[in-house]
Amino acid sequence: MASAPTPVLRMQGIVKRFAGVRALDGVDFDVRAGEVHALIGENGAGKSTLMNVLAGRFPDYEGRIHLFGQEARLASPRQALALGVGVIYQELSVLPNLTVAENILLGHEPPGRVPGTLDRRTLVRQAQDVLDALGFRLPVGEPVGRLSHARQCLVEIAHAIRKNVRLLVFDEPTASLAGDDVERLFAVIRDLRARGIGIAYISHRLAELPQIADRVTVLRDGKAVGTRDIADVKVAELSHMMLGRRLTEMFPEKRNQPAEPILRVEGLSRPGVFEDISFTLRRGEILGIAGLVGSGRTEIARAIFGADRAAGRCALEGRPLARRSPRRCTARGIGMIQENRTLDGNVTGLSVERNIGIGVLDRLTAFGGVLPPRRVRRNAQRMIERMDVRPRDPARPIQTLSGGNQQKAILGRWLCRDPKVLILDEPTQGIDVGTKAQIYRLIMDLASDGRGIILISSEFFELVNLADRILVVRDGRLVGEMPGPGTEVDAVFAACVRKGA
Amino acid sequence: MPDQPDQPDKPEAPSRRWKPSFQVVQAGTVLLVLLVLCAVSAARTTTFLTWRNLVYNLLTNAAYLGIIACGMTFVMVAGGFDLSVGSTTTVCSVVAVLVLQGMGGQPAWMAITVAVLATAAAGVLLGAANGACVSYVGVNPFVTTLSTMLIFRGIALIMTQGGQTLSVPLALKKTFSQTYWGKVDLFGSAAHQLTVPILIFLGVFVVSVFILRFTRFGHYVYAVGGNENATWLAGINTSLVKATTYAICGLTCAIAAVIYTGMSNTGQAASYQGLELLVIASVIVGGTPLGGGAGGLFFTLIGLLLLSVIENLLPQFGVQEEYRNIVRGLIILVVVAMDVLVRGTGRKGKG
Repeated sequence: MASAPTPVLRMQGIVKRFAGVRALDGVDFDVRAGEVHALIGENGAGKSTLMNVLAGRFPDYEGRIHLFGQEARLASPRQALALGVGVIYQELSVLPNLTVAENILLGHEPPGRVPGTLDRRTLVRQAQDVLDALGFRLPVGEPVGRLSHARQCLVEIAHAIRKNVRLLVFDEPTASLAGDDVERLFAVIRDLRARGIGIAYISHRLAELPQIADRVTVLRDGKAVGTRDIADVKVAELSHMMLGRRLTEMFPEKRNQPAEPILRVEGLSRPGVFEDISFTLRRGEILGIAGLVGSGRTEIARAIFGADRAAGRCALEGRPLARRSPRRCTARGIGMIQENRTLDGNVTGLSVERNIGIGVLDRLTAFGGVLPPRRVRRNAQRMIERMDVRPRDPARPIQTLSGGNQQKAILGRWLCRDPKVLILDEPTQGIDVGTKAQIYRLIMDLASDGRGIILISSEFFELVNLADRILVVRDGRLVGEMPGPGTEVDAVFAACVRKGA
Repeated sequence: MPDQPDQPDKPEAPSRRWKPSFQVVQAGTVLLVLLVLCAVSAARTTTFLTWRNLVYNLLTNAAYLGIIACGMTFVMVAGGFDLSVGSTTTVCSVVAVLVLQGMGGQPAWMAITVAVLATAAAGVLLGAANGACVSYVGVNPFVTTLSTMLIFRGIALIMTQGGQTLSVPLALKKTFSQTYWGKVDLFGSAAHQLTVPILIFLGVFVVSVFILRFTRFGHYVYAVGGNENATWLAGINTSLVKATTYAICGLTCAIAAVIYTGMSNTGQAASYQGLELLVIASVIVGGTPLGGGAGGLFFTLIGLLLLSVIENLLPQFGVQEEYRNIVRGLIILVVVAMDVLVRGTGRKGKG
């Protein structure tokens, strides 16, 4: 964009250790004025660590940082902000009960005539000025908590800009946005870029990068493995860079055989979210659902499972699933791994064995509701063995396990019920590469046993390598179907973003 | 409060290491304080370490609180809260006396059996009303039970025709009062006796422990408290589980009401005020967290004993009546503050 790009940020040889482990191992990263530089990598690659160094939250880093041409030592978040570095975290730090104006000027409230009071009229005017300058149309007097997440994000950006921030770091901003909001946020980011603000954009979603980034740097195992201009790189190449040569070895051979239909979905609709979704899942089939974040893919899956209400019909093995709820669907043999493990998966505080057993206690119960502890333990041990959950300690609280092992435990929970249909919503999100491979193998095993699998994933290379068919969801509608094997990742991506005629 | 969602982006972050659960730490501390307190009291006073004081006085008084605390533990482990236990107990007590009055002409065993069953039914009904409001209507437990605390108290006032003291009929008094005053010989002599309230408490406690630890329902109670949403998505009827905990709590109120009605042989609309706070304090001091998912009955027992011992010691150590509430309040605050400090989840939180 800018004709003479000056680096606003240059990080050189950044090292950060956690208890001896190098989370960042000599990373170089720079951002020019008026540029969006994306930072991508698997979970655990070090993206967030690098961002936290930049935000001043890890003062004990090694290496050198130049900000706006001068060497700087980022010792605290306060200092980073004073130097002009603003961070928009995934979990926003707006105060929901204060108004938009109060949030934007938080810490810079104009004093009133009486000491200790504040001048509300000036406050509103100044906030409006900030918003006007940015071109944001937000109600200044409205409590922020009443705004959508996307608009709260704008408030946070305005707050940062107000503090003369010239380098903005976005931490996976699209993770909790839907549909048009993603588009709107991208427009805002492009506009900020045009104003000469340097932007570091952290993501693990390859698919959105061509829309927003100018350059992209790939992190793997705490090292920067390469920087590319987005114009010269294919999504598939970025996948390979993120995962290394392991990519091909990670996927099992396809050996499942799609057979007769098992789950039929007809005319599933939820106004404003998705409309008229119909498809058939076969026994032994892995059906991929591709779509960008906010396309409605998670909501569709939740509606099938009965976690959300929706119009339309579903039938399992020819018998209708009436008045769907997680309880009824579970009883009929449908299982679902939720996208957000922490909120919707783990029963925090309970042991691994109880987390595994929670769904099958009815089968472990002796007479009168009595539950012999030995049965719970034996059931859990069987699953821990089968799923290779580590450490192999059924009594450990589940939240003390790594993300991958938590996911394996939760998969074990559903396998206890021996489901006929398993819906997996981003089953490998936030999981290390080794565990991913195990989960891929498991998915293939389950399908080979004659179960129907619905696999939702943002990582399209998972879909093309595992699925028999891929359904493409865009703006809440099914817009295409393609075979899994032989399809290029970039073709799936293109189908997900193509705007209707 | 559930842990904030943290994606394990940093390998081997130090917080992943496994420490003994916070509840165990807190309960251990409370137990230690309790033992030290008892040892000091035994050494410094001649009155504390006597069978008379410990059993007839301390434990018998603790028993009826303890029975309700068992029910409250179910509610709080499931992440709920019940402020209405005092009022529920009052209604139950009035129901007991009214039924006994109505059955005045019948044989004692029959009248008392019917009265006990009716009281139990009343307790379960009121608890279930709380439970339905919380889990099916979706009103916040604090608001629900604050409201029903007033409503139930009002019901008791109506049932006693505006606050009259109702008495158990003379013919039944002697038998019925055994629920409180009854004693059972220990070691085959009258030198050491246990009182009926203690025995009833032990029974309730054992049954509760069994339900919470060894039944499917008990597992669900912990799961609902740990992460209700995830439990629901695992296909469990979480509404029913939550509602049932309130019904159990109501039942324990009924049991306590029978005992205490046996003590005074009267039913009054103004009785048992402030009971809810003592019960909730016992559960919290023991280490069951607000928000649920952890803790349990042994923790509650320890908390109950600590509060009861302190209650018992205040007069023995000559603490003036006007200072006692301050001491009680401080102890609850200190214990819970210790818990916060041990967890390290004060204001700063983790990054």
